[in-house]
Amino acid sequence: MDRRTFLKLAGTGSIAFASGCTANPEKTLYSLVNAPDDMVTGQPAWYASTCRECPAGCGIIAKNREGRAVKLEGNPSHPINRGKLCIRGQAALQDVYDPDRLKTPLLKQNNRWEEISYIRAAAILKSRIRTAQQKGPDRVRLISGVAGETLASLFSACMGYWNAGKPVWYEPYAFESLKQAHKDIFGQPALPSYRMEKADFLLGCGADFLETWLSPVEYARKFAHMRRPGQGRKAVFISIGPFQSLTAANADQWISCNPGSETAVLLGLIRTALERGKGTRLPEPLSGKAREVSRPYTQSKVSELTGISTEQLTRLAEAMLRAESPLILGSATAHIGEAAYETDLAATLLNLVLDPDASLFDFNRRHRVESANPRQDTVAFFNTIVTDSPDLVLIHQANPVFTLPPGHNITEKLAETPAFVISFSNAMDETAAMADLIFPTALGLETWDEYGGTTGLVSMLQPVMGSLTQAPAIGDVLLAATDGAGTGAATYKDYLISRLHDASATDPAAAWVSLIQQGGRFSQTEAAGTAPVVTPPIPSAANHVADALSAVKTVHDGKISFAAVSSLRFWDGRGANKPWLNEIPDPLTKVAWQTPVLIHPERMEEMHLMPGDRITIRTAAGELTAPAYDYAGLHPDMAVMAIGQGHDAYGRYARGMGLNPITLLAPALAAVSGGPRFGVNDATLTANGRNQILAHTDGSRIQHGRKIALSVDLKDLHGEPHAEKHGLTMHDFPLTLPTEEGYDPKRDMYKSHSHDTYRWGMVVDLDRCIGCEACAAACYAENNIGVVGETQIIKGREMAWLRVERYHDPDRPEKIIFLPMMCQHCDNAPCEPVCPVYAPHHSREGLNNQIYNRCIGTRFCAQNCPYKVRRFNWLEWKWPAPANLQLNPNVTVRGKGVMEKCSFCIQRIKDARNVAKNENRDIRDGEVVPACVQTCPTGALTFGSYMDKSSRLNKLVRDPRAYQVMGYINTKPAVIYLKKITQII
Amino acid sequence: MEIIIASLSLATLACIVILIGTRGKPVRFFTATRDVLETLKLNKGPLFSTFLIVVLVLFFLFYFYTPPAAQIGPAQPIAFSHRLHAGVKNIQCQFCHPYAGQSIHPGLPPVEKCLYCHNYIIAGHPEIQKEHDYYNTNTPTPWRKVYYLPEHVLFNHERHIRKDIACQACHGPVETMDRLQGERFKMGFCVECHQQNNANLGCWIACHS
Repeated sequence: MDRRTFLKLAGTGSIAFASGCTANPEKTLYSLVNAPDDMVTGQPAWYASTCRECPAGCGIIAKNREGRAVKLEGNPSHPINRGKLCIRGQAALQDVYDPDRLKTPLLKQNNRWEEISYIRAAAILKSRIRTAQQKGPDRVRLISGVAGETLASLFSACMGYWNAGKPVWYEPYAFESLKQAHKDIFGQPALPSYRMEKADFLLGCGADFLETWLSPVEYARKFAHMRRPGQGRKAVFISIGPFQSLTAANADQWISCNPGSETAVLLGLIRTALERGKGTRLPEPLSGKAREVSRPYTQSKVSELTGISTEQLTRLAEAMLRAESPLILGSATAHIGEAAYETDLAATLLNLVLDPDASLFDFNRRHRVESANPRQDTVAFFNTIVTDSPDLVLIHQANPVFTLPPGHNITEKLAETPAFVISFSNAMDETAAMADLIFPTALGLETWDEYGGTTGLVSMLQPVMGSLTQAPAIGDVLLAATDGAGTGAATYKDYLISRLHDASATDPAAAWVSLIQQGGRFSQTEAAGTAPVVTPPIPSAANHVADALSAVKTVHDGKISFAAVSSLRFWDGRGANKPWLNEIPDPLTKVAWQTPVLIHPERMEEMHLMPGDRITIRTAAGELTAPAYDYAGLHPDMAVMAIGQGHDAYGRYARGMGLNPITLLAPALAAVSGGPRFGVNDATLTANGRNQILAHTDGSRIQHGRKIALSVDLKDLHGEPHAEKHGLTMHDFPLTLPTEEGYDPKRDMYKSHSHDTYRWGMVVDLDRCIGCEACAAACYAENNIGVVGETQIIKGREMAWLRVERYHDPDRPEKIIFLPMMCQHCDNAPCEPVCPVYAPHHSREGLNNQIYNRCIGTRFCAQNCPYKVRRFNWLEWKWPAPANLQLNPNVTVRGKGVMEKCSFCIQRIKDARNVAKNENRDIRDGEVVPACVQTCPTGALTFGSYMDKSSRLNKLVRDPRAYQVMGYINTKPAVIYLKKITQII
Repeated sequence: MEIIIASLSLATLACIVILIGTRGKPVRFFTATRDVLETLKLNKGPLFSTFLIVVLVLFFLFYFYTPPAAQIGPAQPIAFSHRLHAGVKNIQCQFCHPYAGQSIHPGLPPVEKCLYCHNYIIAGHPEIQKEHDYYNTNTPTPWRKVYYLPEHVLFNHERHIRKDIACQACHGPVETMDRLQGERFKMGFCVECHQQNNANLGCWIACHS
C-alpha cells in the first residue's frame, strides 16, 4: 500500500468512525394532557390481576412504568401461587406487545381479508345474532376456553337470551380421565387440589405437576415444601412411566415401565397394601372390589407386565407402606398410553386404600379447569356445526384447528358449515384463519374480569396498562350485541361489580377498591386451607371400578409408541408465538426453537442415528420428519415429542417453527372418559438420511468430572462433618467466601477486595431447583435481553444471563441434576484482569460490573470466564414495535459489539438503596430481590449480603451442603450452591 | 467568537493573496509591488474562487455557530419562558416538575396543569390558545428536549434534590433564560461534582445500570 492509499483509507476510516459514533437520542419530550392520579414518572405503579395463560389462575402484579406494563410478578398474597410465577406467566406480557397482533377486525370477503372498523364488526355481530335469534332455537353456537365464573355466567346468559344451548368449554388438556376416576369413586367429576405439602411419600404415574398438570406453580411450591430436608429424612418422590418428564427428572427415582403399564404397578401396590392390612376402613363394596381387581396382580405378574424387576417393586411397596401420609398421583396432563382413565382410577383407589379419609384431597379447593367439557363434547360441537347448520358460530380463546388431531377434520368442518364463523382471536391463528370474521378482543391483561383458579376464590383481573389496540373486552362485545342480554348491565365492568358486590360491606365502593387493590378476596380461601377435610361419601356402586380395572390391557407388544407430551413452555401451543418461550430452551433437551423427537439411545444406535439426524415418524394419522434427540429417560420402544410448535398460521415467531406432533395422533377418544389420547401404539420410525443442526444451548450433557453440579446422598449428609484438613486440589479445596476472610496468603497473590457495607451474593439450593426455567424468563423480561433466534443459537450466540444447566450422570443417564448458572460475581474474577480497557470492574459492594460504554469487544473476558456466563452482542438485536415498549427503562439496552452479563439486577439493588437512604438506614436483609429470586416457584434462590452477619445468606452458606461451582480454581464465587440431596429407596 | 472567526478568515485570505501575488516570496510585496499587482491580475480566476470559498466558509461558520437559537435554545411548541415563570414570578421548580423530589424523573407538567392558572391569567393570549388546542384535541405537547444524558446513565433526581443540590447546579440559571439552551451532560461533569462532595463513585451503584 502506498502512502496515498494509506492516507485515504485513514481519512475515510476516521470520518466513518466519527459519524458512526454520534448518538441519536430522542429529540422530543411529550407532556401529558391530563396526569393520571397513580402515575409518577420514573416510579412504577403496580396493578394486581390474574394470569390467564393457563386455567390455574395465578395472581399477578404488573409493574407499570409511564403507562406501559414492563414486568409481571406473582401476587404475594394470592393463595394459589404466593408471589411466584412460571415461565409462561413471565412471558404473558409478550401477547400484549406481539408485533403481529391484529389491530382491527378482519372480514373475509371473496377469500381475502378486509380490515374493517370495530363499529362495523360489532354491527355485523349484532345483525347476525338477531337473524339467528329470529330463525328459531339453537341457531348460535359458542365454544370458548375455560373462563371465570362471571364471564361464564355472562356467556350462558347470552346463549339463553339467544335461545341457544350451552356454551362448550374447550381446553385441550381437560383432565377427563382424572375427572372420570373421581366421579366413579367420589361420585362427582371434581378436580380437588392435593395437600401435597403434607405428604411424605409421593408416587407419580406421569402426573407432570411441575410443568402443566392442574396448577404447576402451586404444586411446585407444595412439592418444595414437602421435600425440605428434615431430621435425617426427606419425603420420597418416585415416578413411574415410560417417559421421564421434567417432573420425573426431579424424582428420587424414575422407574421406567412398558408404555401403558402404570396401572398394573398400581394394582400390584393395591394388592400388597391390602395384604399388609391397609384399607380395612374402606367401605365394604369398594374394599371387596379392590381386593378382587388386584388379586391377579402378584409381584411376578406385575413385573412381567411392566418390565420392572421384582426387587424394585418390593422396595417401592415397602417405601410406600413405611410412609405416614402417602399420596399417589395418576397420569400426565397429556397422558401417554391409552389407559389414562384406568391409571387415574387405580391411583385414586390406592390413595383410599392407604388413607380411607383421603385427607390429602382438598375438595374445598377444586381446580377451575374441571369446568371444561370433555373432549367428546368439543368433537360433537364441530360435528353439529355441520349437521345442524346453525347460523352463527362463535369461537373464543380456543384454537381447535391446531390442538385437535387432524382426523377430526376441524378445518374442513369450519369451511363446510353454512354458519357465519366469528373468532375473537387477537392473532391470525389456524382457527381464526378459517373464520369469516376475526373480531379481536382485549387480552386478560387489558380487561376487567374475575377468574378464580379454585372454588371459593375470587381473583380479579384489571387492565394493567392502557390498550395498544382499540379491541373491546369480550364481555362488552356480547353485552352490546344483545342490548344487555337481559342482565341490565351496560358494560361488562358493571356486570362484574354487580356480581361481586359485597352487600355486607359498610362501604361497597371502598370494598370494591380494596378488592381490586388486593387482587381478589383471599381470606375465605386461606381459612379453607385449614378447614376440616370434606371427603364426599364413597358410593357403594363400585362396579365401575371393578369393570374398568379388571379389563386393564397392559400387554406390551413391542411396537413403537409415539406420544405427544404437554410442553412446559408452550402449554397447548398458545405460547408458541412468544419469543422468550422459544428462545429459552426446553429444560430437558436444551434445544430452543425446534421440536426434536426424543428417541432412546439404544434405538438411535440400532438405527445408526446421530443427534439431529432426521427421522420420519409414521402413524395411521400422518407422518412427520423431525430431528432425533437421544434421550435416556425413555422406554426404548417410545418416541416422544412436545406439543406446541409447528404452527402454519399465528405470528412470526410461531409460523413454520418446529413441528406439531398432534398431527400424528388418532382422533379416537377414550371409551369411558371421553377424553383424547395423546399417544399412538403403531408408529414406525425410518431414518431420513439427512441431518439438521440442533439449536441446543448446552455445551455438554455430562460434567466431565469437573464438580459443577454436585449431589450428596441423604445418608452421608448427616454423617461425619466436613474434613477439617483442606488442601488445594480439586477434591479438598475449601469453600472460600468472597469476603476478606477468604484471603489465604498461601494461594492468593493479592489481598481480597475490601467491601463497603454490603457484599452481595446468592445461594442456590440445588435440592429445591426443579429446572422449570421461570428464573430465566424473569431475567429476559427484567434485563432487556435480546432474542437471537434459531440460527444465532446454533452459532452459540444466545444471550441468556441466567441459564439452567442440565447434567446427566454419566453412569446413570436418567439421574438428572439442574443447575441455574448466572454470573458468579467472583471475588477473584478471571474476567477482570484480562480486559485491556478495564470494562469488567469490581465494585465496592462486590459486584462485578460490566461497563458497557467502556467495552471495546475484545471478548477476552468471555474467553477467560470458566462459567460461560458472559454474552457478547454479535449483532444489534431487534424488538419489533410494539415489543420495544416492554423494555425496562431502568436497564440499558446494549448495542452491537458489547459484552454483557448478569448484574444481580443492579437496578433493583439501586431501588432498595434509594428507599433505605430516604429512611436513613442500611438495606435490610431480603429487601433486594432480583427477578430470578422473586419468581422461583420453589424458593431455591436466596439473595443477600455477606457483610450482614445475620442474613439468611450467611446462615445458608454454613449448611454442610454448601459448595462453589469449580471453586477449586480459586475464583471465590459469590454464588454458593447447596448440593442436591439424593436418596435411594 | 464571531469576531475571532471573521478576523482569522480575513487574515488567511490576505495571506493567500500575498502568497499568490509574490509567488511564495512575501518580501517581494514591498520590493516589487507593481510586479505583484500584475501577477494578481493574471491570477484573477483562481483568486476569485479562493475568495468565494473563504466567504462560503465564513457564512457556514456563522450559520453554524451564531444563529440566535444557539444562544437561547431551540424554539418550543409553546413559547414558554422559564425566565418569566421561575425568575420574575418566582414559581418553585417543583411546582411544575413535581416528581423531582420523589422519583428519578422530575416529571413534565401536563397541559391540564398549565391551564389551572392560565384559564385566568392572560387567558386570551395566542400562546395560551395553543395550550387549549393541545388540551381540546387531547394531544401530548411535543417539547423539544434540551438536556441530554446518554441512555446508559440513570440519573436519579430524588437523590440530588434530597441532598439539597440546587436545580441550577446542573441545569444552569434557568430563571434567567426565556428559551433554555440546554446541555449535553458529559461524565466528567458528574464525576467532578461526585469527587468534590465525596459522593458515590461506583460505576453501577451510582449511575449506570
